[in-house]
Amino acid sequence: MLQPVDTALGILNKQLNQPLAAALEVCARCGICAEACHYFVADPQVENAPAYKAEQLRKVYRAEHDLLSRVFPAWTGAEPLSEEKLAQLAEMAFNKCTLCYRCTANCPMGVDTPLLMTTLRAMATASGYGPEILEMLADAAIEKGKDPEMYLDFFRDSIQDMEKELQALTGNPQASIPLQKKGARMLYVALAGAHTILPAAAIFETVGEDWTLSIYEAANYGIFLGDASRAKEIARRIVDEAKQLGVEEIVISECGHAYYAMRWVAPNWFGDEFNFRVRSIVEVIAEYVKEGRLELDPSANPEAITYHDSCNLARKGGVIEEPRRVLEAITTDFRELTPNREEAFCCGGGSGLVAVPEAYEVRLAAGKPKAEQVRRSGARVVVAACENCRLQLGDLSGHYGLDIGVVALADLVVKAMRLPGYQETIEERMTAEVSVVGN
Amino acid sequence: MTLILFTQILAALALVFTVAAFGWRLRLFNALARPVDRSTPKGNPRLGILYAYTLGMAPWAKESTRRHGIAYLRGVAFHLGIFLGLGILILSPWIYMLPVAWRTLLALGAALGALLGLAGFIARFAEYNLKALSTPDDYIAVLVVSLFQASAGLWLVYAPALPLFYIVSAIMLVYAPFSKIRHCIYYAYSRLFFGRFVGSRAVLPHSQQGAR
Repeated sequence: MLQPVDTALGILNKQLNQPLAAALEVCARCGICAEACHYFVADPQVENAPAYKAEQLRKVYRAEHDLLSRVFPAWTGAEPLSEEKLAQLAEMAFNKCTLCYRCTANCPMGVDTPLLMTTLRAMATASGYGPEILEMLADAAIEKGKDPEMYLDFFRDSIQDMEKELQALTGNPQASIPLQKKGARMLYVALAGAHTILPAAAIFETVGEDWTLSIYEAANYGIFLGDASRAKEIARRIVDEAKQLGVEEIVISECGHAYYAMRWVAPNWFGDEFNFRVRSIVEVIAEYVKEGRLELDPSANPEAITYHDSCNLARKGGVIEEPRRVLEAITTDFRELTPNREEAFCCGGGSGLVAVPEAYEVRLAAGKPKAEQVRRSGARVVVAACENCRLQLGDLSGHYGLDIGVVALADLVVKAMRLPGYQETIEERMTAEVSVVGN
Repeated sequence: MTLILFTQILAALALVFTVAAFGWRLRLFNALARPVDRSTPKGNPRLGILYAYTLGMAPWAKESTRRHGIAYLRGVAFHLGIFLGLGILILSPWIYMLPVAWRTLLALGAALGALLGLAGFIARFAEYNLKALSTPDDYIAVLVVSLFQASAGLWLVYAPALPLFYIVSAIMLVYAPFSKIRHCIYYAYSRLFFGRFVGSRAVLPHSQQGAR
C-alpha cells in the first residue's frame, strides 16, 4: 500500500496538465493578490495571501520537478512533501481558501490559485487527509444513486405533502409537483428540503412550464473534495435521470457549486452523453420576467434589499445580470453591495466550509469583509442565489449583529407574485428558516 | 581575440543556450495535456482571450491594480525595460549606426528600467509581506535583470562598457531558464487560460455580462 506522501505526489503528477503547470510556474510573487482575498482582508497576515498559500504547493512541485531546486532547494524555497506538511497543506486547502477565483481575476498574470488549491484538495483526499464529513456526504450521495428505490416511496410521500402546500399557495387545486415525468421539457434539480422546491414549483406552475422534479439533490460534495471520480458519480445520477426522462434541459436550484459542477464541469466528464442545456433557476426566472410570463408586484418587497453574488454563479459562472433583472422587477429599494458582480467578495462559506463544523470559527472570521459590505449597504434583506452563501450570511448576521433577513431569489419572486396562499405557506417557512440560520 | 569579441561570443553562446533551454521547457510544457472544455459557452471565449491580453492588463481593469497602480506600473515599465535591453543586446553590433539622440533615448529607457528594477528589489527587502513571500532566487533574479538593463544603458553612453554589458547579459541569459525569470514563457499561457475561462462564461469583458 502506498504511503500518504506517495499517494499525494502521485495525484499531483497525474493532474499536472498545462493549466496546472502554468499556475505553478508563472507566479512572480509580487503579492498584489493579497487584498483580493477575503481571508487576508479579514486578517492581513501574509499566510492569508493567495500567493503565499499557492507557494506552499509550488515548494513541493519544485522539489519534485525543478533542476535548480533539487540541487539548491534553499535557493528557490523548495520543500519535499512530508506527512506533516501534507496535513498542513490539507488544512490550508480546505479551510483557508474558498476557491472563489477573486485572486485570479486580480492577478496580472492570471495565476489560477483555486486550481492549485483544488489540486491540493485532491492530493489530501486521496491520501486520507480530506474532511471526513465531506467524504461521508459524497459517499452517501453516491450510495443513493445506486439504489434510489430504497427511499423513493418516502420521497414521493413528502412530495405529495408538498403538493398540498403548493395548491394552497397557488390557489389551484390541480397544481402538482411532477416526479419522474417522461418527456418533460425540463428537469429541475433541487436541494434537500421544501424551501428550494415549493417556490420553484409555484413559479413553474404559474408560467405553465413543462417540468419534472429530480429525485436527486443538486449538491455535489465531490467537487469540494477535489475528487473528480466521486464528483462524476454524483453528477452521473442526474445525467442518467435526464437521459431516461428525455428532458431537454437540466435546471439547477439556487446553489452555486451545484450549478458550477453541472454547467461547467460535468460536460467534460460525460462528453457526447451530455446533450442537455444546463441553466440555473435564476436564469430561467430572468427569462420568464423578460418574456412577461410572470405578473409581479414590486411593492410586495418594499424593504431595502441587496444581492450577494455567489462566486460560483457570478465570477465563475457568468450569472451576473440575470438576478439583477429579476430584482429590478420585484423590489422597490434594491441597492448594490460595493464591490459587486465579478468583483464581489466571497461570503467566506463557499467550497464546502459551511458543511465542516471545524471550519465554523474560520469562516465567520473570513466573512468579515462581506459582513461589512452588507452593513454599509444599509440593506435589511440580503438575497443570495446559493444555499451555502445563505447559510453563511445567516451566521454572519448573528455573529456581526447585522440583523438581516437572508432569502433566496425565488422566495422574493413568489412574494411579488401575490399568490393567494402566500402568507400561510412560504412566509411562515421563510421566517422559520431565517430565524434558524440567524442563530 | 579582443575582449569585445570574446565577450560578444560569450553573450551569443548564452543567447543560444537560453533560447534552447526555453525551447526545451516549452516542449515539456506542450507535452502536457491541455484540457478541452466541452461545456457550451455562455459568452465568447475569443473575446475573453483578447480581453486578457489587452484591456484586461490596463491599470484600471482590476481592483488590485487600481489599488496598487504605482507598483503595477513600476512592474510594467520594468518588464518593458527588459525587452528593450534584449533588443539592445541583439542589435548591439549595429547600434552604433543609430544617431546619438536615439542611442541616448534608448539608454534612458534602459536606465529607467534598471532603476525601477532596483526599486522592486528594495521593496522586496522593505515590505514585510513581500519579504515573507520571497526566496533568494526572487532577489537575485530581479538584481541580475536590473544589472542587465543598467549595463545596457551604461554602454550606450559609455562605449568602453560594452564587454561589461556582454558579460552581464551572458550571466542573465544563462540564469534565466533555471530561475523565476522563466515565468516569462508561461505568462502567455496563463493569460490564455484565464481569458478562455472568463470569456466562455461571459464574465469578462463586461460587455458580455448578461449574454444569453
